[in-house]
Amino acid sequence: MTTMTRTWQQLAPRRGAISQLAPGDPDAWAARLRFDRERAAANQPGELAAITEVAIERARDAGAAAMVLSGSTARGRRTSVSDLDYHVIGATSLRLSDLPADIDLYADDVDRFWAKLRNGDDFAHWSVWYGCVLFDSGVIREAVTHVAEHDAWPDPDRKLRQARNALEFAEQIVESGDYGAALEQTRGALSLVARWSLLSKDVFPLARDELAGQLEQMGQAKLAVDLRRSIRERPSPDDLRDALVHARAVTGATVGAAV
Amino acid sequence: MTSKPKVEVAREHLNKAQEEAAAGDLRDTVQWSFASLEAAIDALAEKHRIAIGEQHWRRRDAATQLHSKGVLPRDLSELHQLLNEERKAMFYQGEDPDLGELTIEDVIREVETAVRMAEAESE
Repeated sequence: MTTMTRTWQQLAPRRGAISQLAPGDPDAWAARLRFDRERAAANQPGELAAITEVAIERARDAGAAAMVLSGSTARGRRTSVSDLDYHVIGATSLRLSDLPADIDLYADDVDRFWAKLRNGDDFAHWSVWYGCVLFDSGVIREAVTHVAEHDAWPDPDRKLRQARNALEFAEQIVESGDYGAALEQTRGALSLVARWSLLSKDVFPLARDELAGQLEQMGQAKLAVDLRRSIRERPSPDDLRDALVHARAVTGATVGAAV
Repeated sequence: MTSKPKVEVAREHLNKAQEEAAAGDLRDTVQWSFASLEAAIDALAEKHRIAIGEQHWRRRDAATQLHSKGVLPRDLSELHQLLNEERKAMFYQGEDPDLGELTIEDVIREVETAVRMAEAESE
């Protein structure tokens, strides 16, 4: 059954859903910004909110056209391994490395952001779909309208290439005996495989901690379990190897020499 | 599970980075260099009772503290930050690494400094 998307809160992670919200309409866009302000306040505990305030101030000072809070924080699904993700558009030399958090900053000038969107970069699309707009001079609104009007969608093949590269490196790290790095790389590689798998079936991948649930709905039970365990538990190296072998099989690739 | 000592891991990752550099694979060189630097910082931080908590930003700060204490001859926090950003951009975005003004030889030399210090402190 297809659910009709009527509000930003209900935006279904399904191709075409964003067009149902008519984002070019001023009232619809005002509703998105209102929803995003509420999310930014609700999803960031005091310490994170303070970091974001500093980041916003620096982005504005740097002349950024827009800034988006992304990933698990935007979705209200942070875990113990979550980074704080920002997408800044229109300023490429923002320094946040002195702030006390693992921050992932994606900074694009406006032309590069548009190129990424048109080339199917899933992070740029994520900002448009589920990013929490912290400020916007108009570029995000135009991008949302573009996605809605052109049925623009992240490129699954691009994600598959990234996933295969990540699997190869994760396999080598697992064999190195560096458990912390192995767990992180395996988690990252499984996330990429999950995102490719969902995108290829016209399902928009949500935050990392939500991917397992999305995979289960698609019948990818083992990949879902492996991914969830890599986020919430500390699986043994053998379990990590097993997860990577399975993920390789999901992508249709042969198992790498390191496994 | 028994983990290999971090100082050993740091040296082995550095060897991989050097092999990849010799083979001309910049992407894998950056990945292994970062892994080596993190392991070296872990080894030194443990020795000097600096909390890491498996968080990258704490390792970055530890690099500064280790320099302040005279353990590392240079502050490697900026190198750590650069390698962390570039390996994430490669891993999650499929981008090619951009080391700015540094060459990959500069990177390996700096990482080797940290590995040597970690080895010296473990003896």
